[in-house]
Amino acid sequence: MWDAVVVGGGLAGLIAGIRATQRGKRVLLVTEGVGTLFHFSGIFDYGDVEGLRHLPKHPYTLFDSQAITQGKHFVQEICPEYVVNDRPQSAFNVLGTVRQGDLMPRSMVLPDPQEQGVFVLLVPEGLKDFFPEIVADNMAREFPGWQVSVKRMQVDALQEWTRLGKSVTSIDYADIWRSEEGYRALAHEIDEIKRQFQDAGRSQGKIVVVLPSLVREYFDASRTKFYRNEFSLPVLEMSSFVPSPHGRYFAEYLKHIFTDLGGELMIGARAVSLKGELNSEGHAKICQELVVRSMGKLMRLKGKKFILATGGLLGGGIKVGMARRSIRESVFDLPLFIPQEWSVPQFLAPQPYAQIGVETDQFMRPLDPVSGQVVWDNVHVVGRMLAHWDPWTQRCGGGVSVTSGYAAAELI
Amino acid sequence: MDSRDELAARLDACQKCNVCTAQCPVAKVNPHFIGPKGLGPDMERFRLGQTIPRETTLDDCSNCKTCEVTCPSGVKITEMIIEARRAASKAPHKNTLGLKLRLRGYVLGRAEYLGKLGVIWPTMTNQILKIKPVRLALDKVLSISKSGPLPAYGKPLEVLVGKRPKIKASDSKQVVYFPGCYTRYNEADTGQILIKVLEHVGYKVIMPDFHCCGLPLDANGQFEKAHKNGLYNLELMRPYLEADMPIITSCTSCGLTLKEEYPKFQTTSAQLIGAHSYDLFEFLWQLYEKGELPLDFQEVKASYGYHPPCHLKAQRIGTPVVRILGLISGVKIRNLDAGCCGLSGSYGFKAEKYDNAMKIGSTLFEAINVGAGRGDFQEITTECGVCKVQIQHGTGIPTDHPVRILAKAYGLIN
Repeated sequence: MWDAVVVGGGLAGLIAGIRATQRGKRVLLVTEGVGTLFHFSGIFDYGDVEGLRHLPKHPYTLFDSQAITQGKHFVQEICPEYVVNDRPQSAFNVLGTVRQGDLMPRSMVLPDPQEQGVFVLLVPEGLKDFFPEIVADNMAREFPGWQVSVKRMQVDALQEWTRLGKSVTSIDYADIWRSEEGYRALAHEIDEIKRQFQDAGRSQGKIVVVLPSLVREYFDASRTKFYRNEFSLPVLEMSSFVPSPHGRYFAEYLKHIFTDLGGELMIGARAVSLKGELNSEGHAKICQELVVRSMGKLMRLKGKKFILATGGLLGGGIKVGMARRSIRESVFDLPLFIPQEWSVPQFLAPQPYAQIGVETDQFMRPLDPVSGQVVWDNVHVVGRMLAHWDPWTQRCGGGVSVTSGYAAAELI
Repeated sequence: MDSRDELAARLDACQKCNVCTAQCPVAKVNPHFIGPKGLGPDMERFRLGQTIPRETTLDDCSNCKTCEVTCPSGVKITEMIIEARRAASKAPHKNTLGLKLRLRGYVLGRAEYLGKLGVIWPTMTNQILKIKPVRLALDKVLSISKSGPLPAYGKPLEVLVGKRPKIKASDSKQVVYFPGCYTRYNEADTGQILIKVLEHVGYKVIMPDFHCCGLPLDANGQFEKAHKNGLYNLELMRPYLEADMPIITSCTSCGLTLKEEYPKFQTTSAQLIGAHSYDLFEFLWQLYEKGELPLDFQEVKASYGYHPPCHLKAQRIGTPVVRILGLISGVKIRNLDAGCCGLSGSYGFKAEKYDNAMKIGSTLFEAINVGAGRGDFQEITTECGVCKVQIQHGTGIPTDHPVRILAKAYGLIN
């Protein structure tokens, strides 16, 4: 019997799993694949928390502001490179424009635009989906007082890739920088830049090397070795394109923290159904076991509490069928809030379908939208599966996932 | 829905998110490999239109199944690739593979015959395989890497079946053990220890004269022979399966084959095999949950790094060994989970793949070296025989099957 079975290995599920394990609970985390964390840019958006708390039914209304701050501090606790700040901070996105974010690694935070200096954009050869000219143009526009210069570099280990004209993903580059050989190549290149700009007297101001695909805030599989930071110039990293190295390393990092604390991870398993019965008052049902398809047999995972963190439409927690209006939550078959009209014509406008999800009570237990009654007594819904919010226009995806995951773990 | 339609349906489930390629150990080290998404679902669209790519491209996949476990949409990527290999082997223009490589496929696929040969005079075989010119010759003639860590042979595990196996429904305290070629021919003592452990927890062990499960044959293009082996083994299992007896595996690749491939066969026992096959620790954990696992453990003061084999992950059962060993007082176990060891069955034995196999394993080797250097653990434990061989080759750190730790705790070995 597990204290909690978490279904879903994305941000909300892993945060819930880690926090509950940290609190001494026996936790099993079941996930079909790696989840949407591979799309994580490295920056957590919380959005206008106070404003959103005034929207009826927004997930933030389920939490007090203290709980939201606690979640932020938890991220900082498990990954000290993230620094909780009162005001939003700015970073370069993958196109070189400036975006704000509420929680980002130290190494992404942009310098003061009022200062004077030089950005040297270091472009690794053949980096996939990266357009140096556009990036440099955008950087110059964003920082009018700064000079922007582009330097390309090659890595020996990738000669064959270059010869074949094959692009290299930012995940592969991030991996190379962590190797001894890759680190040396990078350090050498940065020394060169220093010589070129500073020692030659070409610049009096600050020189900042900007590098895509450098992920240095999480330690690697050996659990000991943080990315080495000793370069002769400050290095600023950009957020990344998908599949994102930040997402990949963060997912791995959270997974290792979870299993090192004693949590058990069951990856590749698809939750298919559950067994439960009505509670003593006869209102809500108590879930006893989650049924998971594991090759030829069905595994029954018994738990005291269940956390549903399967994601929304993108993560696969909500399935839309070919039949018109066929839409369902795929594990517990929970009733969903579905707006009358799913979409509006303007592509970038707030889309009603973003609001699709499960309505819950203040303990994140699923509600029947018609009767308002709790459906499952010991099931907590977290992350993207929650109804009445829009991560894209409200820019609060990380905030809702971290806060709800953390808060659910406190209820185990 | 027949299986072909099902595959097509999973094909449409691919969202092109590229996560599988980002996680693929081979794509990371081999620029010529287009990666699981490319070779699986992308090319599958062409294959469905009858354009069959050259076998050598298909051959780059090491069959570790990391992509399938990683896929958020449940796409059977490796299965598509293996199916395409099967189709390519029947295609009219199949002479793309030279005689040497076909011969090598024949040899490496025959883990069982190699085992039978090797154990006739194990010391001699082992000595011969250590001679440099012999390895050079194997490299030249068969493209079997001269540097690869070929496993040593020992006295084989004896078959355990009564003259007339008594199978009664009341004899529920019996299990069938499927040892696999590695345990049977290379590490029979591990097999004997496992049998002792099963007896200690109250089960009589039956071990018929199984053939190789077929996975190395499939992986080396010997599809028909693999199929024959499967049918043979299923027939041997039939009476036991019909008597509702569990089939226990200790090799994660054999376990995966029993669970994933055998149910596709067109026999009655194929319908029973999936629900009856268990990894050893999966089986023990089930006993524990029912309160039937003896907990008379002695303290074992030791720390281990644990490497979860790719084919254990592909069984989708989590890491039951960590749960079981966690019950023993004194045992400290750290789940390294640092990726594929690189050997992937017989992949890393191949001359042109050896360097890449070592590169694939480097993350794991580093995690092991750093952990051991810091004193987190002194030994490594892993269920898979070839992972073990590769880890020892890459790090020099003693590595063994976790059943030995359990046997120590039960006082069955020192």
